[in-house]
Amino acid sequence: MDWHLLMGQATVNGLIVGLLYLLMAVGFTLVFGVMRMVNFAHGEFYMLGAFAAYFFTTRLGMAFLPAVALSFVAAIVVGSLLEWCILKPFRKDELNGMIVTIGLAMILQNVALMSFGPDPVSMPSIASGATTLLGITVANSRVYVVGFAVVVLLLLYAFLRHSRGGRALRAVVEDSETAAVQGVRARIYYPLGFGIGVGLAAIGGALMAPLFSVSPFMGQTPLLKAFMVVILGGLGSIPGAAIAGLSLGLLESYSTLFLSTSTADMLIFLLVMVGMLAFPRGLIGRGEA
Amino acid sequence: MNRMTRSALGAMVLGAFTLHAAAQETVKVGALVTLSGPGAAWGQAMKNAAELAADKVNAAGGLEVGGRKYRVEIVAYDDKYQAGEAVTVANRLVFEDKVKYIIGPTGSAPTLAVQPITEKNQVITSTLGFTNKAMGAEKPFSFRPVVTTYEFSEPQISWMVRTLGVRKAGGLFPNDESGQVIARDLEAAYKKNGAELAVKEFFERDRVDFVPLITRMLSRGIDTIELDGNSPGTAGLITKQARELGFKGRIVRTGGPATAELVTVAGKEAAEGMIVHAVIDPGLKTTVAYVDAYTAKYKNAPNGFSPSYYDFTNMLFEAMRRAGTVTDSSKVRIELEKIADFPGVLGKLNWTGKSNYGVDHQLAVPFYVAEIKNGVEVIRARCTVVEGCN
Amino acid sequence: MTTQTIERAAAPRAWSLPRGRQLAIAGAIAALLAAAWPWTAGQFVLHLAILACINIVIVNGLSLIDRCGQLSFGHSAPVALGAYGSVLFSTLFGFGTITAAALSLVAGALLAGALGWVILRLRGVYFVLVTFAFAELVRLVLLDAASVTGGANGIAAIPPLSIGGFAFDSRERFYALALALAVASVGFMVWFFARPLGRAMTAVAANPALAESTGLNVQRLQVVAYIGGSMLAALGGVLTARYVGFISPESFGTSASVAFITMLVIGGRKSLFGPMLGALVLTPLPELFRGAVQTQHIFYGAALILILRFLPGGIAGLLSLRAARGVGR
Repeated sequence: MDWHLLMGQATVNGLIVGLLYLLMAVGFTLVFGVMRMVNFAHGEFYMLGAFAAYFFTTRLGMAFLPAVALSFVAAIVVGSLLEWCILKPFRKDELNGMIVTIGLAMILQNVALMSFGPDPVSMPSIASGATTLLGITVANSRVYVVGFAVVVLLLLYAFLRHSRGGRALRAVVEDSETAAVQGVRARIYYPLGFGIGVGLAAIGGALMAPLFSVSPFMGQTPLLKAFMVVILGGLGSIPGAAIAGLSLGLLESYSTLFLSTSTADMLIFLLVMVGMLAFPRGLIGRGEA
Repeated sequence: MNRMTRSALGAMVLGAFTLHAAAQETVKVGALVTLSGPGAAWGQAMKNAAELAADKVNAAGGLEVGGRKYRVEIVAYDDKYQAGEAVTVANRLVFEDKVKYIIGPTGSAPTLAVQPITEKNQVITSTLGFTNKAMGAEKPFSFRPVVTTYEFSEPQISWMVRTLGVRKAGGLFPNDESGQVIARDLEAAYKKNGAELAVKEFFERDRVDFVPLITRMLSRGIDTIELDGNSPGTAGLITKQARELGFKGRIVRTGGPATAELVTVAGKEAAEGMIVHAVIDPGLKTTVAYVDAYTAKYKNAPNGFSPSYYDFTNMLFEAMRRAGTVTDSSKVRIELEKIADFPGVLGKLNWTGKSNYGVDHQLAVPFYVAEIKNGVEVIRARCTVVEGCN
Repeated sequence: MTTQTIERAAAPRAWSLPRGRQLAIAGAIAALLAAAWPWTAGQFVLHLAILACINIVIVNGLSLIDRCGQLSFGHSAPVALGAYGSVLFSTLFGFGTITAAALSLVAGALLAGALGWVILRLRGVYFVLVTFAFAELVRLVLLDAASVTGGANGIAAIPPLSIGGFAFDSRERFYALALALAVASVGFMVWFFARPLGRAMTAVAANPALAESTGLNVQRLQVVAYIGGSMLAALGGVLTARYVGFISPESFGTSASVAFITMLVIGGRKSLFGPMLGALVLTPLPELFRGAVQTQHIFYGAALILILRFLPGGIAGLLSLRAARGVGR
C-alpha cells in the first residue's frame, strides 16, 4: 500500500471515529453548558443506547433506523426523568453533581450487567461488503453509519439554530441568568438539556452497535474520549466539541499509523494535558475557564 | 434425672443420630475464575465443568475416599481477570473456606499473583493461563489442564505452512502477559517452519475498534491474519473488521477454542474458511456426551476449554481416591502426578511438559486443526502434543 | 457577711463523669478492642484489616487535598508511583526496603510539587479532568515501560519490608505496622487542621477569593496540600506493594480513583474521621457481596447519591463526630 492510499485510508477511518467522538462530546458539553455538571454517566447512556438498539432490532424485529430513533427518544425520556428525580438538587453544584453522576454511572452499568450479563453481544450488520473508492476501502456498514450520524447532526444544528426550543437551550448554555430573566423556564430546560445531551450519547451507541460488539462495559472508553474532546474544545462550547471531536479522531488514526498504539495513547493524553494548561478555554476557544 | 437433663440428653442422642445419618462430610473445591468482563466465557466454562463433575459424583452418593463418602462442593469467586482481585479471592479461599484444591485461575497475571499463597499453603491449582512461568519444579502444586501455544502452535503452524502455503502472517495481541507470551511463541513457531510472523501489534484489552491497526498491518503485505491470544469476542471483531476492510487472505486462529463466539460476532460469511485450533472432536462420543450434558444444564454450548477442566476435576477425584485422603493435598498431588492414560471425555490423557517447564504438570490433550465451514468446525487434521499433526 | 463554706466535691467517679466524657472513653475502649480483634480472628480478617488500614492512609491523603478546595480524580497515580517507586528503588539501585520507601515518598513529593504547581491554577471541574487524564497517563506509562515495570504482567515476588533483621512478613506483623500508620495518619489530620496552616487551607476551601483577599496565597497552599496528600497516597502504595507482594498497572486505574472518592464521600467529606470510616466500611464490603457483585456496585452508587442528597456529612455526620469537623466547613 503506498503512502497516499494509506493516508487516505487513515483519514477516512479517522473521520468515522471522529464523528462518534463528536456525538459523544457534543452531548457531554451540552449537559455541562446547561447544568454545569460533568456527567460521568455519559458513557453509560452510550451503552444503554447500544443495548436499546440491539434489543429493538433483535428482539422486536425493528429495522435499524426506527430502532435508533426509538433509542434516542427513550434516552431523552429516561434522561429527563433521571435529571428531574435525582440530579435536580445538584444543578449548578459542580463537584457534588459530578460525584452523583459517578453513582448514577455505577447503578446504570450494573443494572445492565444484571440484565444482559457480562458477555458482549453482537448485532447483525446493517450492510455487508465494502465500497472501494479511489483505492480506499470502507465497509458499507460504516458508510451507512456515517450517513446517519451526519443526518443527526444536521437535525441537531437545525434544532439549535432555528427552533424556539433550541434557541432557548442555547441561551441557557450561554448565560443561564440572562436566559432566566428572559423567561426561559429552568424547569423545562434543565431536564430537556440533560435528556438531549444523553440522547446524543445514546444515538452514538445505537449507531456504533452494529460495528462493534455491545457489552455493559462499552461505555468506559467513549466517556474518556468525551472528556478529552471537551477539554480540547472547551467545556460548554458546542462548536469546540465538534471540531475537537473530529480532530481527535484524525489524530488517533494518524498516530496509530506511525506509532504503536500505547505510544499514541500516551501522546494524546499528554497533548490533552498540555492543551488544557496552555489553553484553559479550549484550543478552539469559547469555552469557559 | 430432672427434665432439663433428660431433654438435653434426648436432644443429644437425636442429634447424634441425625448427624450420623447426614454424616456426609463435604470436600470443598475452590474455583478462582473470571466470571465478568473479557475472559468470562472461559471462567464460566471452567466453573461449570467442575460443577458438572461434582454433580455426577454427588449423584452417585458422594466421592468415596478412604472408606468415607464426601459431598463435593464447588466454591466459586470472580477474580475479574485482575491480579489484585485474584489475591484477595485466593486469601478467602485458602484461609476462610480452607480449600486445598482450586480450579483456576483463568488468567496468567492472576495465576502468578496467587501462586505465592497457594504454593506456600500446599493448594493444588489448575491454571488456564498460557504463561510458561505458571509451572515449574519449584511450584509442585501448580498444574495446567489445557494445552497452550507452546504445545500446539508448532505442529499446527507446521501443518498450515505445508498444506496451505502460509508465508507472511500478522497478528494483533492484547498487551498483557498472555498476549506477549503467545506472540513470542507464535513467532518462534512460524520461523521454525520457514514462514514469518511479520507483524505483531499490541493493544489495550478493551479495545473495540481495530480498523486502524488492521490498516497498518495490511500495509505490510501479509497473507494471513493470526488471531491467537485474543478473547473470543475480540477475535470475532477483528475478523469482521478485517473482512470489511476488504482483506481476502486467510484468517487463522492457532489456539484457544473460540469458534462459536467468533462466528456469532463476525457472522458466518466473514468466518468462512477460517482455520482454527479445535479441542472437540464431534466424532468422539464421550466429548459429545459432555457437550450435550453441559448444554442441557447451562443452556448454551461450552467454550472449548471446558472438557479439559471436567477431565481435570475427575482426575483430581481419582487422585484423592488413590491417596486415600481429601485433606492431605501433598499425597493427593503425588497421586495426581502418577495418573497415566486417564480415560477422559477428550480421550486418553497423560502428563507432559518436563522438557519445557521442568515438571510434567501439563496435561497432554489431543487437539485438531479445523476449518470453519458455514459456521461449524470441520476437522482437517488430528494432532497430539507428542506426535504433531497428520 | 455570710461566708459560705465551699463544699468540697468528692473526687469524680468514672460513672459520674459528664456524659460526653463517658461516651468518649467508651468509644476509645471500643475502638481499641476493635483494632485488636483482627489478631484473634484469623488470616482472612487480618487481610481485610490490613487493606482497610492502607485505604485509611490513602483516603486521608485524598481528604487533605480536598480540604484545600480541590478534588483529585486521579488519586490512584501517586499510589501507583509510591508502589512502583519503592520496589524499583530496591531492585534497580539496591536500596534497602525502608530506604527505598522513603526515597519513593520523596520522589512522589517532588513530582507532586512540580505537577501541582502547574495544574492547580485550574479550578473545580477542570482540575478534576486533568487529574483524571494524568492518572490515565501514569497507568499507560507503567503499562508501556515493560522493561522496567514489567508492563501488564506487573512485578511479582516483592520482598517484605524489613528494618534491621526484623521482617514484616507475616500478616500479624504487617497489621501492626499498617494499624500504626493508619492511626498516625488520622492523628496527623486532626493535629494538622487545628494548626494555623491547616486552618488556612480550610479557609481556602471555603472561599478561595476571600482567602486570597486576606493575604493567603491560595495556589501555594493548594500545592502544599497536594504534596501532602500525594505523599500519604504514596505511603499507601508502598504498603500495598510490600503487603500484597504483587503490583500491576491495572490495580491503579480509574476504578481505584473512584473507589477512593467513594470512600471519602460515604465516610464524610466534612469530618476528619470521614476517610477512616469510609475505608473501614467499604473495604470489607465486597466480601459480603462477593457473588453478587452487581448488587454491590448498585448499592455503592445508590449510597453515593443518597448520602450526597440527604446526608452530606456521610457516615461521620450520622455519628455526629462534630468535634473533629474543623473550622468553617
